[in-house]
Amino acid sequence: MTASLSIKHVNYHKNRQPILTDVNLTVATGKIVALLGANGAGKTSLMRVIAGLAKNYRGEVAVAGKTKLAQRKNALAFNENLQGFSKSEKLATILSFYAAVYPDFDEERFNQLQEFMDLDLNQRLGQLSRGTKAKLVIALTFSRQVSLYLLDEPFSGIDVMSRKKIINSILLWKGEDATILLSDHFVDEIAQVLDEVAIIKERTILCHVPADQIRERGETVSAYYEAQYDEDI
Amino acid sequence: MEFKDNIPIYLQIEQYLYQQIVQGQLPAGTKIPSVRRLAVDLTVNVNTVQRALQQMNANGILITKRGEGNFVTEDEALLAKTKQHLLDVELQHFTEQMRQLGVKRDHLVEILTHYLEEYTDDR
Repeated sequence: MTASLSIKHVNYHKNRQPILTDVNLTVATGKIVALLGANGAGKTSLMRVIAGLAKNYRGEVAVAGKTKLAQRKNALAFNENLQGFSKSEKLATILSFYAAVYPDFDEERFNQLQEFMDLDLNQRLGQLSRGTKAKLVIALTFSRQVSLYLLDEPFSGIDVMSRKKIINSILLWKGEDATILLSDHFVDEIAQVLDEVAIIKERTILCHVPADQIRERGETVSAYYEAQYDEDI
Repeated sequence: MEFKDNIPIYLQIEQYLYQQIVQGQLPAGTKIPSVRRLAVDLTVNVNTVQRALQQMNANGILITKRGEGNFVTEDEALLAKTKQHLLDVELQHFTEQMRQLGVKRDHLVEILTHYLEEYTDDR
């Protein structure tokens, strides 16, 4: 079976500063994987390289076996921050934009997600709380039918109830062959839904292990994650 | 459900289902909830639920009927054995705790009998 995501020897510089150094990561189809790391470790940069938003890296990135940029972009969905939309934009307008831009956008699925998340399409973007905005982004992202979903810090700064709602929507709507790579600097609250964790430190992937393999040694996932950073404290 | 983070989740899902079976919430021959239903109810990954169910299928406690789902076995002997195993695990834990408190094996029955006579309102 083709891996959903394959990254080989990726190096990325920006303004002559190294951002990612010899990154290697292979994720099997259907997994939920957390990309964990401190702020500035390179999580977002790696997400942007995979998504094809960061250019001029060296190395190979394949999504569902596709390495060419255009094909790769069609095989993945990246949770966007909606910064391209004005605050006065109605959610309904944003929805039409997504439906028009992405041929794989499934409106029926969006309706289900919208109902589940309790989103009001008559509201304007600027009226939304952080939690509601995070839910909207997830609903838009998961309405696309792709093999890889990249969620960059989907839970940052939102309340417990919104987080639970988002986690449940992932469990309910994730297809069997859909793969999720989500980044966070904190693992406690999502640990039990993860298949694997990949830890990024100092611009590279330090380790990539199944969560239950860590627990088989009697360790908690968060203790394991912290131990990778411990020597610096 | 609350999971412990230092024990594999698939083992805890198995434990949870074994308890449901032994306590009678999932009696012999009943269909257990779908993989996705269990995943959402327990807030765990579908893959992890599948791993737990595979294990229980291998043990014979669950039977997969093609296209219908998973059912609790009607093999009474196997169910009794499963219940005994759960009891053994608890008793082993109890015995170990008592040992750490300095109670020797041959005093366990005496101490437990005394406790049960003293605290009759203990569910």
